[in-house]
Parts: sequence; C-alpha cells; structure tokens
Amino acid sequence: MKYKGRSYNFTLGLGITVFMVALILLGFLWTPYDPDAMQGSLKLNAPSLLHLFGTDQFGRDILSRVLVGAGSTLVIAVGTIVIGGAIGVILGAVCGYFGGWLDEGVMRICDALAAFPSVLLALVIISIAGSGKYKVMAALGIAFIPSFARIVRGEFMRLRESDFVISARLVGVSTPRILFVHILPNILPSLLSSLAIGFNNAALAEAGLSYLGIGVQPPDASLGRMLSESQTYLASGVWCAIFPGIFLVLLVLGVGLLGEGILDRFGGGR
Amino acid sequence: MLNVEHLSIHFEERGKREDAVKNVSFQLADGEILGIVGESGSGKTMTALTIAGLKKPYAVIDGGSVWLDGMDLLKLDDAQMRSVQGAQIGMIFQEPMSALNPTMKIGKQLEEVLILHTKLSKEERRNKVFAAMEDVELRNPGELYDKYPHELSGGMRQRAMLAAAIVCRPKLLIADEPTTALDVQTQDGILELLKKLNQKYGMSILFISHNLRVVEKLCGRVLVMKSGEVVEEGSVEGIFGNPQTEYTKELIAAIPTACGKNEGDKSTVDEAGMEKDMWEPRKVLEVRNLNAYYREGRARRQILQDVSFALYEGEIVGLVGESGSGKTTLCKCVLGLLKDYEGEVIHHTKRPQMIFQDPYGSLNPRKTIGWILEEPLKVQGGFTKEERKRKAEEMLERVHLPKEFYKRYPRELSGGQRQRVSIATALMTGTKFILADEPLSALDVTVQAQMIALLKELQEKEKICYLFVSHDLDVVHMLCDRVLRVEKKQVTV
Repeated sequence: MKYKGRSYNFTLGLGITVFMVALILLGFLWTPYDPDAMQGSLKLNAPSLLHLFGTDQFGRDILSRVLVGAGSTLVIAVGTIVIGGAIGVILGAVCGYFGGWLDEGVMRICDALAAFPSVLLALVIISIAGSGKYKVMAALGIAFIPSFARIVRGEFMRLRESDFVISARLVGVSTPRILFVHILPNILPSLLSSLAIGFNNAALAEAGLSYLGIGVQPPDASLGRMLSESQTYLASGVWCAIFPGIFLVLLVLGVGLLGEGILDRFGGGR
Repeated sequence: MLNVEHLSIHFEERGKREDAVKNVSFQLADGEILGIVGESGSGKTMTALTIAGLKKPYAVIDGGSVWLDGMDLLKLDDAQMRSVQGAQIGMIFQEPMSALNPTMKIGKQLEEVLILHTKLSKEERRNKVFAAMEDVELRNPGELYDKYPHELSGGMRQRAMLAAAIVCRPKLLIADEPTTALDVQTQDGILELLKKLNQKYGMSILFISHNLRVVEKLCGRVLVMKSGEVVEEGSVEGIFGNPQTEYTKELIAAIPTACGKNEGDKSTVDEAGMEKDMWEPRKVLEVRNLNAYYREGRARRQILQDVSFALYEGEIVGLVGESGSGKTTLCKCVLGLLKDYEGEVIHHTKRPQMIFQDPYGSLNPRKTIGWILEEPLKVQGGFTKEERKRKAEEMLERVHLPKEFYKRYPRELSGGQRQRVSIATALMTGTKFILADEPLSALDVTVQAQMIALLKELQEKEKICYLFVSHDLDVVHMLCDRVLRVEKKQVTV
C-alpha cells in the first residue's frame, strides 16, 4: 500500500510540473492580451469569458500577467538553483572528499551564511548591489549555496571510504574524475530532490522579495509582485490575488511532489 | 515447544511473485538446539523472522501455523505479538552494530527490554541487567553499563546483544548468523556461550547459519533448506556422517577443511615453493623494515614494528591475525593508501589491486559492468572504444562470466558474480598482485568453492600473486602456500 502511495507522488508531481511549465512556456510566446496594456474602462473587472481571470486595478488582463509573471518566477527560481547548485556541489564535493582544514574553513563560512535566513541575506546583497531580475537571481543563488554544499558534502563523506571509490583510486583514476564521474551519479537522487526543494524555496523567496518591493520591478510582472499589489484591492477584486496565488501553489506543489517522488523511486535501496 | 506446520510464504515485489518458503514443517523441543542451514535465498532467515514476528512487509503468508506452547503466533495481533517478543522469544542477528542503538548506553538498552515486559522496580531491573551481563560473560558489568555500542569490540557487542535477548529469560532464542561477522577465536567464544546458556536455563535455540562447521559444533539436530523447502532433516551425526541428498553432500564437500592437505602434501608444496624460488625468483612485492602509525586524535600509535617480507609471482600468501592486530594497516601500506609509515614498500609490478569483502559495495552501483571494466583502460589511455569493449568482453570470459554481462548493472548480479567482476577489474590493469580482503566470507559455501577454483586457475595460468586476508583459518590453510601472521605489531611467516 505504502509503496503504491509513494510512486503516486512522482507521477502526480511530474504531471503538475509538466502542465505548469507548459503553460509558462506558452506565456513566453503568446498571451491573450498584452500583459502591460492598461484599459481604463476595464478596471477590476471580475472573471468573464473575455478575461478569464478578470482584470486588475489598471485594467490589465490577469491571465496574461499571471502567465508572464510565473515565467519570471520560474526563470529566477531555476537561475537560483543553477547558481547555488553548481557552486554548492563543487564546494560540497571537494570538502566532503578531502576533509581537513579546507573543509573546516569552508563549512564555517557556510554556517555563517546559513545563520541568516536566506531572504534576509538576499535582502542585504540586493540593497548593496541594487535590485533587478538577475541581481535577485544572483543574490538568492549565493544565499542557497550552503544548503546544497551541506547535502553534497555529507554524501561525499559517506562515499569517499566506500569500496568502489577505493578501488577506483587503486586503478589510478584522477581525483576530479572520481569526484564527478564515479561519486556524483550515486548521489543524484538526493541531489535532485534537494534541488527540487531549493527550487520551491527560491520561488517562494522571489515572491517574498517582490512582495517586499525589492524583487522584480514594475511594470514587469512576477507572481510575488502581483500578490503584493493586489492586497489593496482584496475587498473589491479578490481574483487579483487568487489566481497568482493558485499558480504559485501549483508550481511549488508540483515540483515538491516531484522531488519527493524522485527520492522514493530512485533513492531507496542501492 | 515450538511447532511449525506447513508454513508457506511468498514475496510480492513490483508484481512479481516469488515463493520464499514452501510448506515447511518442523518441531523444536524444550532445551534443544536446532540448526537451519542453507545458502542465501534458501528461506532460512525468512522462516526465522516469521517465527519471531518480524516478517518483512512485502512477505505474504500463504498458510500454515507456528505454535509456541499451544499459542498460534501467526494469529496474534501486533500488540499480543510484542508481548511475546523479548519475553518468550529472544533474537540475535549477524550485525550487532546495527541491532544496537548507537545513541543509547548499553545498560539502558538492556533495561528497556525489562521496562517493556516486566513491572520490576528500578533496583530489581539493575540487578537483572547485571545478572544477564554476567551470564554472557561480559567483564566489568558496572563499567559497561555506561558505555555506548561503538566503544565495544565486535565480540563484546555480540555478547551485549545476546544479553539483551536473554535478559527476560525467553524460552526460545533465535540466532540468525550470529557468528558470521566475527573472527574465529571470537566465534568459538560465542558458540561456547550459547551452549552454556542452553544447559543452564534449558533455553531452546534455533540457530541459523550457512557455516556448516559452526552448526556441527553447536547443534544437536539440523534442518537443511534449499529454495524454500526442507530437503533433509536429522541429527548432526546423521547429516554429516551419512548425508542423503545431493545438495547436502555438496554443502558438506564445500566446507574448507584444514586437514584437506596432509603432511605429505605439505612437504611437496614446500618443495615446489622452493623450486619456484630457484627457477624464477621474481618478486612482486617487497616490504622492508616497515613501521606504520595510526593517528588517534593527537596521539600517534604505532601499529606495526619493523615488518619485512617479500611476495613472489604466482603464489598465494595468507595474512591472518585477530581483529585489531594491524592486518588492515598493513594492507593499506601495501596499497599505498596509508602514508604515515617508515621503511620501504617496493612494488615490482603495476599498481597493486584489491578485492573487497563486500561484493555489494565494491562496484559502482550507477555504472554498467562494461563501464567499470573499461575504466582502467581509460586511465591508461591509448585504446579506441572498440578495443576497450573487446578487451572487457575477453576479460569477462577469462573470469567465466557471459559476455552479455557487459551491459548489465551490478544490482543485476549475484554476490559471486560481482566478486568475479571485481577480479576482472583488477586484472584489467595488468597487475600481477592482488590483495584479497576476506573475498569469500560474504559468499555461500558452494559459491566459495567456485571462487577458490577461479583464484587458483588465475594463479596458475597468469602467475598472479595474491595476498589473501582472512579470519577463516580453514580457507587459508586450504588455499595458501604460505601464511603471514600479524601479532603484537610483528609479522611472522
């Protein structure tokens, strides 16, 4: 029973994720209306056949804005885990495999970084470097390095003494090759699932930063920005908040289930 | 006392059905020691786990009953079963480290059993725990009470686990391969202890093992299982003296015996050895005045002192010694994995290679056999893709594995097949020296015999020199030309 319930995670997560990503990709190419076009006569219209998700306080089509906004959220989240993941994996691999003073030093720096909430850390970086899509990406990426580095380090420490690694050393395989060709594939399930969790945290952090007004700048749409702007109109136009909210929840839920499913399916056993 | 009737169990995994235990019936009388022997996959452990109420969730019982003193254990619900476990049935396992909780002091773990099953006061519990520790002949119970499992040696852990199993004085003790992970001296100690407990308390013991030598020493009656069925049952004398089925004969024939070589044999081997030295005294490894150290926190402990020896082409040399004697340190020095030594380690061949004890850990689980075999060639460089593949397939044939294994993953192979792949990988480097660390101890006796044949064949055909590390003295005597003994920091030949 348990087994069946678990494999469901993977299928459901994959389904939701593919559906959401497909919608978002569609948003890059085509939207029903220009997401930034304002129409004075259509302010805060409820959902209708013309505007499926309704319009906002400037008369902009919410469906179009949600599609485009989810796009920037996705781009920022992916960028964050690519930056954080790549640096985190390299640092974690080297620290875990070699240990010693290098490991000690890098891990203490990571501890210090991780002691700040990642959003707060990103806030500091952005207030120094200035806001904007790519700066948010870089700031969140740096803030996410410690979490990936830790996971990868732990796995590498576990595997560095394993028989197959020792046997690769005896055969004369070079160290970088041992790290990234022999060991790395063995930690993929846990790495992928932590990337999925990281993706979700990044998507939520982006929404949080934009909500605070330091993420994506107007008139560009992002899910967080839309949620932030809609709060003034919650009484008169609740759809302004509901649809971006649903999109964010679905995106995070899909990837979260997918991450869980990967671990269940490929992480267990040998 | 224990009566198992027509027990049948099957697994169901990913829709595939596999019969694990087929219509097994046997009885165990009060105070009797019954051995169950068979290879892995014969259903012996599954039977034992079911009796103890520890059946795996994917195992399904098709029918039968397990009676313990007039109570059908299979009909009990979880809560009732828990009150039987520990109180009436005690169980010990192969790996004491994983059966003990690493974060809990030994004393507390023993006490926990009493808290669950009795209403004794704190004082009484403490006294019982000390009594149990004395029963299993653990010295200084007072001191051990406050120790953690990792502070104990393998033998002591096994005794601690045994103490936890008997602290409630169960009528039945189920022992699943309790001596397999121990060296021979410690093994004998545990067997003696089980015998004593059996006599002192009249405790019945169900002893599961693939090691027939151990079963012969301990048990009164033996059950031989093969692919889920009982193929033979009888007294120890009957089974060993006059085995009825082919399978039992095979198992007995596969037991490595120290007396396999009589004195006459030995002298000819010695002569042959000397002859070899005179004809082609080609050394593969020389160790001169080796002092090796091990760092423990800040302290630098000397493990080996002034060790010298040489190994020659085409010989199999045993390396024996109790755990903690420095066997592993010596191996690491020889392989170049430990740098903290003085003296000389000279290799007259290509990189030394190693075969490991655990066939499940030594092959990269995410790579195909072909990829693993080609890795040494990639390191050397200068081969095309086709050449590499051809060489890998040739090597598979040399270790008697089908070519088709090239595309398989390690998880699709059995333990013996994996050990063959390990040997093949070592040979791919072109080495003449292989260090084999307990390469047989995780394998069934029949597979062991096949592996020994392969090692011998490669020794003769390809003049491979093995340094064969083992705690199984029988295997060492049967296989090795010479034996190195590690003792008190010294190595004696």
